[in-house]
Amino acid sequence: MKKFIQIVAVCFSVCLILAGCDNGSSSSTVESTGPQRDTVIIKLMAFTPDTLTVNKGDTVVWINQDIVAHDVSHFPDRAWHSDTLNPQNVFVKVIDDSSSYFCSIHPTMRATVLLKK
Amino acid sequence: MRFSAALGVAMFILAGCNSGNNDQAAATADSAQAAATPAPEAAPQQPALNDAQIASIAVTANQIDVDYGKIALDKSKNPEIRKFAETMIKDHSDIIKQATALATKLNVTPETNKTTQDLLDGQTKMNETFKGLTGDAFDKAYAQNEAAYHEAVVNAVKNTLIPNTQNAELKSLIESVVPLLDHHLQMAKDLAAKFK
Ligand SMILES: [Cu+2]
Repeated sequence: MKKFIQIVAVCFSVCLILAGCDNGSSSSTVESTGPQRDTVIIKLMAFTPDTLTVNKGDTVVWINQDIVAHDVSHFPDRAWHSDTLNPQNVFVKVIDDSSSYFCSIHPTMRATVLLKK
Repeated sequence: MRFSAALGVAMFILAGCNSGNNDQAAATADSAQAAATPAPEAAPQQPALNDAQIASIAVTANQIDVDYGKIALDKSKNPEIRKFAETMIKDHSDIIKQATALATKLNVTPETNKTTQDLLDGQTKMNETFKGLTGDAFDKAYAQNEAAYHEAVVNAVKNTLIPNTQNAELKSLIESVVPLLDHHLQMAKDLAAKFK
């Protein structure tokens, strides 16, 4: 239980850090046209949203809110992939290309990140 | 007090290994409990199972599949069987962790009951079957049993555990297991189909 709280605390800190340094060097306004941050929630054996459209260079954060571990893996060859994400763990990736991805632990879990035209 | 200690020990044994000979202890604790507490405290309409019993069933059902997975890793050389078994061990261990943490938080001591015992009896029989099998015969039996077992557990969760669970958090946790069990069932069926 204590360990769980620690993990949650760590994840929460990570989120704070992630949220804090959002726009990096470019700009500090909310309406920035610079890189954006999007979130995909992993819960109940699904990636939500299952299709996410982003600009090239945007950052996507996957948060595992499910009760079991998952991963985020390029489909089908795992050309890029996260580590195993235990519950409450996050994975962060800058998106340079459209890509289908899946959970290699539970291969029926599939989703897509698309680049805006 | 003494009964709950005995139950705690029995539960610990059940959760810990299920290697077959614990049935006696569990059964003793179970009947002792039945004699000691004629009725659950302040239950207006008595559910078929109380939350402590449901917690026990949940932990036991998950532990049994962890144990089957360990047998598969022990006996099988088939990479698909091994990968499936590893996923079962990891997922069902994760569920046990969540269920145990929630039970602790809610101050619910898992309570063995007839369903727990039936599950363990089924496991004992299955272990006997597995013992006599090797190679493809084992792989096939394991995959088929995983499909049958998950099907039975999904049905029990949907039709018995969820409708009877009183505590909202426990109910929500059990409900959130359903999509995972459905996924496991599908994977197990696909796997079993390869051993026709
Ligand atoms: Cu997964």
